[in-house]
Amino acid sequence: MRVRVRFEKNGIMRYVGHLDLMRFFQKAVKRSGLPIRYSEGFNPHQIMSFASPLGVGLTSQGEYMDIDLKEKVDAKAALEALNNNMVEGLEITGFKYLPDDAEKCMSAVTAASYIVTYKDSKDDACYIDNIADLKQKFFDEASSISIIKKTKKGERELDLKPLIYRFNLDIKDGVPVYDFLLSSGSTDNIKPELVVKAFHEFLGLPEFDELSLDIRRIDMFTGEPDNFISLGDIGDEH
Amino acid sequence: MKKLALPDDILMQIDKPARYIGNEFNSVNKNPADVDIRFAMCFPDVYEVGMSHLGIAILYDMLNKRDDTFCERVYSPWPDLHNLMKERSIPLFALESQDPIKDFDFIGMTLQYEMCYTNILQILDLAGVALETKDRENDDPIVIVGGPCATNPEPIADFVDLVYVGEGENSYPPLLELYKSHKEKGFNRQAFLRDASKIPGIYVPSLYTVTYKESDGTIESFKPIYEDVPATIQRQVVKDMDSSSYPTKMLIPFVRAIQDRVVLEIQRGCIRGCRFCQAGMIYRPNREKSVEVLKEQAKELLASTGHEEISLSSLSSSDYHALGELMDFLIDDCLSEGVNVSLPSLRIDAFSLDVMSKVQDVRKSSITFAPEAGSQRMRNVINKGLTVDDIIGGATLAFKGGWNKVKFYFMLGLPGETDEDMKAIPQLANEVAAAYYDTVPKEQRQGRCQITISTSFFVPKPFTPFQWAPMYEAGEYLRRAKVVNDEMKAQLNQKSLKYNWHHSDVTVLEGVFARGDRRLCPAILDAYKSGCFFDAWGEYFDFDKWLAAFEKNNISIDYYAYRQRDLDEVLPWDFIDCHVSKAFLKREWNNAMNEKVTPNCKMGCSGCGAAIIGSGVCHNAR
Repeated sequence: MRVRVRFEKNGIMRYVGHLDLMRFFQKAVKRSGLPIRYSEGFNPHQIMSFASPLGVGLTSQGEYMDIDLKEKVDAKAALEALNNNMVEGLEITGFKYLPDDAEKCMSAVTAASYIVTYKDSKDDACYIDNIADLKQKFFDEASSISIIKKTKKGERELDLKPLIYRFNLDIKDGVPVYDFLLSSGSTDNIKPELVVKAFHEFLGLPEFDELSLDIRRIDMFTGEPDNFISLGDIGDEH
Repeated sequence: MKKLALPDDILMQIDKPARYIGNEFNSVNKNPADVDIRFAMCFPDVYEVGMSHLGIAILYDMLNKRDDTFCERVYSPWPDLHNLMKERSIPLFALESQDPIKDFDFIGMTLQYEMCYTNILQILDLAGVALETKDRENDDPIVIVGGPCATNPEPIADFVDLVYVGEGENSYPPLLELYKSHKEKGFNRQAFLRDASKIPGIYVPSLYTVTYKESDGTIESFKPIYEDVPATIQRQVVKDMDSSSYPTKMLIPFVRAIQDRVVLEIQRGCIRGCRFCQAGMIYRPNREKSVEVLKEQAKELLASTGHEEISLSSLSSSDYHALGELMDFLIDDCLSEGVNVSLPSLRIDAFSLDVMSKVQDVRKSSITFAPEAGSQRMRNVINKGLTVDDIIGGATLAFKGGWNKVKFYFMLGLPGETDEDMKAIPQLANEVAAAYYDTVPKEQRQGRCQITISTSFFVPKPFTPFQWAPMYEAGEYLRRAKVVNDEMKAQLNQKSLKYNWHHSDVTVLEGVFARGDRRLCPAILDAYKSGCFFDAWGEYFDFDKWLAAFEKNNISIDYYAYRQRDLDEVLPWDFIDCHVSKAFLKREWNNAMNEKVTPNCKMGCSGCGAAIIGSGVCHNAR
């Protein structure tokens, strides 16, 4: 019986890394008393998997983990039991039973949406008055956005354009706010800081520091462009 | 959202920022305005080490059960953060409230090993509290230390206001009450310290004066400055383990701690009386918890933590009276729930092998022996009641059961150790390897057996029968390791043997501190000021800086570590009464020199003095 749990990671929990978060959830699930299924062998472990890991420093309102239960439990009660075992900054917002043919969240992810802004309202990017127009040139009017991506094997050239499904720019209190929908998952995983870095280069700004960004993941999706489905919309509570 | 003491840019550039944010599940939060006493409980080492410590977990729980006290945690900031905090003048803070600990009422630190002494200074330094007690102002926090090294607190006497000698459960309640009453009538630091010195187990170093003999520099007298300050400090001992405070919840760190499991303390103290072992002496008498209480605590702790592993804590678990019943319970009730049972160091026999085969993958796990010495003669000297027959017999049983990995732990540099005794170490390992090839037919073998020998260098500790023994210079320790290594290569089964040994510089330093006196304080202060801290971490240990600090302060390593002490010398820790009498320790020293074994506490009483506590093995049916 597979369940998809949706959760938020807010506030100071941004400083807890993915592996530490996984270990936290193993213990939280155990404390909550959910009938989770274990693997066989001398060192049995909970059958639990997470969608795309969230980097240290990022927050999110659309995180997912899939767990395997030995029997069906009331979804509302289970959600409450899990929430009783969270800490400040972690909140369970969904608990849905998955259809038998549903792909695991880890491999299902094809896109993710983000809201990105600057931690410092005096960042260089805040002083470019025509930044919205420049973004038009950089993204909407460009046929390709070529960047050099560093990988484990070295460097390779990559065209960002087809991997950015949405790039909106808003100005709030003088600070640019980006709204992204980006290719995500195992093949073409595009981090939002990579897009902003390319944009900064286009703007001719001095050296880019990815720690200058405040990044919040909004949701993760499966499916193809024009038909993305939120991982949280799969399955139901019964 | 919870506020943090560290800004985002620092948290994003240091290693493991989750060490410093608090917020762990089961951590306690109180409104500071609602309490009378704010207590910063510190383990002066990195978070992952400190979070694994059971003693702090017990005290944290016990102090926070009081409505008038908010106890929070502090660990040593790792050097990366240390430098940033210094650069930007960020004061050291407690994890729960993230408030600076300089404003707290108490800073408590546990002394688990001598090599943490500079980290005590780091904590005070980062906190913005004067390093020496003489420089502290009326409103500064009271700095109190406890733990095993508090049985000889003299090397850090200048840095601490109070020393708690013994088990924390007893005297914290009266100490906190006293503090409150002093606060109510207008706090005067000196008056409080003076009154605190009358609470059992509380030692106030600044209220004592030491004189030294001109002839040889040893202590001439050690006495209180005032008549109403006790001349002897009684080590505090919990009488009834079943009713003593034990947490039902334990904190769940985000960063993986060294002990990432439920730790269940099954007993305190040890019946064995190994003559090198400080824990075996100072925690006397051996006191067990009842198996009913342990079952209850195990269930509660597993439920409240969600840990998937449980481990037993004690000095010698095989001696626990109902180990079989407890293990049956854990295996039946926990394994089925996906909880692993990790085994404490058990004596290897049919019983323990049976238990191990139920909870471990025999092919992957190893069995462990700690004979501590290679020859029977030397094992008699140290009173380690383990014979060659026990070892070969246990190993043979294990080989029959499918194990083929054995780990051995030994000490080098024990009193009176000869080259023959050292050579007996690899010879014993060779015999065990031979037993493997005799026991397991060729067709059933999965390659060779693997016998790993590890040696550490012996450090004489206070309140042990070996407290008078000399240590050796670093070079001599390495020579001894070479004797073992050369002899190993001469063994028939040498290809099945592997040998590891420790570095020796840090051993010498540990030896100086373990039996040091208050004349070491200025050297420790200078060492810290010259950049020494995290000395227990090989990558930060800098022996040359220590040698320079010793030289500057006329500290002779010879005097503290290498000389044979006279049995009648006044020792720096003589003012503490650990309930094990000096007469007993002297008898045991002589027994050691005569290679005479002393029976364990269950076989017969040897009159160590701990019976005065009136509980535990001294009063149970033997």
